[in-house]
Amino acid sequence: MELTVDERWGLVERISKETVELGAYEPSLKDALADVTVRPATGIPFAIAVVYGFWAFFCEFAGTLFTDGFFVKLFDGHWLPWLQGVFAGTPAWVFNIFVGDPLADNCFEAFGVLTSGIFLAIGVVLPAIVAFYLIFAILEDVGYMPRLAVLVDTLFHKIGLHGFAIVPTILSLGCNVPGVTATRPLETRKQRFLAITLLGVFVPCGAQIGIMEGMVPGLIGWVFLALAIGYFVVGFIINKIVPGESPEILMDVPPYQLPTARNIWRKLWMRTAKFLTVAVPFVLLGCVIVAILYITGAMDAIASGLSPVITGVFGLPQDTAAAMIAGFLRKDLAVGTIGMLAAGGVTITVFQVFTAVVLLSIYFPCLATFALMIKELNWKETLGALAVLMVMVFVYGTILHLIGMTGIGGGTWVPLVE
Amino acid sequence: MNNKAAKFCSIYFGIFGAIVLIFGIAGFVVMGAYGTEGVTWGPLEMSGMFLPWRAIILVAAGAMYLSSVGNFGDIRQLAKSLAASIMIWIVAGMWIWAGIAGSIPGGEEGGWFIPPGEELVGLWTAIPPAVFLAAFSLAIIYPIRSRRKAAA
Repeated sequence: MELTVDERWGLVERISKETVELGAYEPSLKDALADVTVRPATGIPFAIAVVYGFWAFFCEFAGTLFTDGFFVKLFDGHWLPWLQGVFAGTPAWVFNIFVGDPLADNCFEAFGVLTSGIFLAIGVVLPAIVAFYLIFAILEDVGYMPRLAVLVDTLFHKIGLHGFAIVPTILSLGCNVPGVTATRPLETRKQRFLAITLLGVFVPCGAQIGIMEGMVPGLIGWVFLALAIGYFVVGFIINKIVPGESPEILMDVPPYQLPTARNIWRKLWMRTAKFLTVAVPFVLLGCVIVAILYITGAMDAIASGLSPVITGVFGLPQDTAAAMIAGFLRKDLAVGTIGMLAAGGVTITVFQVFTAVVLLSIYFPCLATFALMIKELNWKETLGALAVLMVMVFVYGTILHLIGMTGIGGGTWVPLVE
Repeated sequence: MNNKAAKFCSIYFGIFGAIVLIFGIAGFVVMGAYGTEGVTWGPLEMSGMFLPWRAIILVAAGAMYLSSVGNFGDIRQLAKSLAASIMIWIVAGMWIWAGIAGSIPGGEEGGWFIPPGEELVGLWTAIPPAVFLAAFSLAIIYPIRSRRKAAA
């Protein structure tokens, strides 16, 4: 006998009425606090404070302390000159692939596998990932994540998911790979397709956020707003189009408790190790392919072939074409390149930088996430997700171009890094 | 918690909630007038990329304190005040953490680390309202303890 969702809940209520006896109950402070954090009137402001804490910790830990504080100095002052010395006598193509631009004085702009590749993976992304998963593990173990899921449950139901989808969504802000894996508890194929598609398209990873935070800090809030709107609008539309069920989920909401250091460390290590073993090889592979495309001149050919779309449809300067192409392989590298264009003498408006960063965020998942999407979904569903992605790139590109034509954000972009 | 303690807490957190709310609104006013560059007024500073976020959180925390003052003896009202205090601790804690994180590396020209104490002194001359407020919000410990004592 098959029951509808409403019939199933009705049955649950009848059984509980017949079997559960409720006695007098005096809630503890922990119970009352738990209640305060799931009620929208108090829970939403509390969630804003938690997200603020999350973000402020992330920026200072990853950006100020590790990347800017130590890794930039280590990589630019020691690693790059050492590599340039070691590879000095090698053939030009070897030097270009492994070290990159011989005149570069910093790892970020060198574009070599051992310079940009290692710097991005270890110097930028790793601190971001560690900061992110450290806070995430603490919030999970304290018992706040299930409450956040309850708080956003109604909102997520509008797009065919339920509150639990907040977990893979937030996980994806660190790295999309564990985010996609975390969609497994979702019950139906429809929900998993929905969640994976939305994660792949609209959720930027820690690498990209780290670079955005360094390159375009003033625009990052607008970029997130544009992506959040897309996440819910597209989710709503896909939910209406794609057949299948979106059933309820029963989730354990444990009481608030103090986290244990051992558990936090194990979770942090497990997730960071997954990033190092699954995502980093793809980061390096992306750098190799980008370097080969530049060396062989293929990048210029592809860029000039696609420039009518990039300049005509998206309204971006011709010079962004190569960065946009490179973004298929390394989004973080591409965002950094866009951020540096003005420093290189290219005239680009604030709104064009915003448009480019938003399009880079949505137009293709990184290679590691794409490989995992094929594994987690079937080919048909993966193609469906890519179709959503292609449509969204053109819709977003066109809408943003039209908004840009009104003159908003028309001032010339001034990068932080000159 | 006895009636006297509940009444005292009602008055304390009522006044404190109003002050928190005023600082939150002031954050918005400063944001509107000076942008994220903000202002420094004696030992008090309101500035930075996160200024609007801090303002939102302080306004919400102030409102939560004010809504908890009626019947403070009720555990739910106490929990509301505790949640508001946690919100202030998060803002203050992150400001302190930012100061510490910025005070460890030696900078572009210096060594790997800043000599201990050198940078902290300069960084902490002006303090955002949340840090001052965090000290007064610690008063939330009193009703929690007196409740525990009463239950024991």
